[in-house]
Amino acid sequence: MSPTRRWPPAEAEAQALEARFGLRVAARLHAGAEEVPHDVSERLRVARLQAVARARQARQPVAAPVRQTAPSIQLVHVDPYSGTLQGTVAMLDGDDERDEAWWRRLGILALVVMMGMGLFGIDWWHTQEQIRTTAEIDAALLGDALPPAAYTDPGFTEFVASHPLATPAAAEAGPAQ
Amino acid sequence: MQAVEKRAFKRTVYAVRDEDAALDIVQDAMIRLAERYADRPAAEWPMLFQRILSNATMDWFRHQKVRKGVMNLFSEMESGDGESDFDLLETLEDQSGSLGFESADETFSRQQTLLSIEEEVAKLPARQREAFLMRYWEEMDVAETAAAMGCSEGSVKTHCSRAVHALAQALKLKGISL
Repeated sequence: MSPTRRWPPAEAEAQALEARFGLRVAARLHAGAEEVPHDVSERLRVARLQAVARARQARQPVAAPVRQTAPSIQLVHVDPYSGTLQGTVAMLDGDDERDEAWWRRLGILALVVMMGMGLFGIDWWHTQEQIRTTAEIDAALLGDALPPAAYTDPGFTEFVASHPLATPAAAEAGPAQ
Repeated sequence: MQAVEKRAFKRTVYAVRDEDAALDIVQDAMIRLAERYADRPAAEWPMLFQRILSNATMDWFRHQKVRKGVMNLFSEMESGDGESDFDLLETLEDQSGSLGFESADETFSRQQTLLSIEEEVAKLPARQREAFLMRYWEEMDVAETAAAMGCSEGSVKTHCSRAVHALAQALKLKGISL
């Protein structure tokens, strides 16, 4: 604080003067606030109503499940003036909803499993088809008459000699002892 | 909330200089108060709302990423030691006059005065403005203002005093008497 600064003789008087000045300024500001444009005041009013509505919703968390399951309440014949009975119904409704969610999850899981099994089955069928086709081709090749060039092939001759079953007579005689 | 919504709006306009932003901030503050503190005693709502409004205003500044503006707003205004001829007592004791009958000229003059006052209030550092408006406009006592601002009662008195000095000096320079 500068020593050349002149201060009021009493601190209380200074505080009183400050308060009076502040209140006069506040009065002018208040008059200005009352002259806020209509669109601004309307937006403020809407904002206030929205805030109050949210506060009311936040205070009523139990009411929502009861409203959603109104048919089941009618079947149970709930007494609207008996808080205990309403609380019981709310709990039952909560269990039903939990069961329903569980069944929903189970259904989705079953669908996924069925899709997986279907994909596996398709793959298995394709594999079997390939095996069958290959076997048919091999059988056709093996059952078909040998081409003349096979008799002049030394490897084929060796194969026939080392595998007696390759000839029909040897196949009738059975495996060699 | 109905009684304070307009004052809250004006107070926020002084801080952010944007009416649309001020409306959003006030709406956000109302929603926060209603959702989180609706179960608190009604006597605490004014202080809580002022605190929430201040925090919502700060959040707005953070989101705008105006760091330089925030630093300027939260810096303490230096007292005008060089202007030794300014005497607060003299200024305050000169305040006189009553509204009485108001002509068109007087209406225009009153509106100009109001604009000047609002302009000078908006120029105050944020903490001084907060303390001044809460103490004299919201009519909160020192303890409530300190709780809403999150500071000590001594700080509130200091901020108020500096704000009054600054406003009185600025209005005197503009030739405005209340």
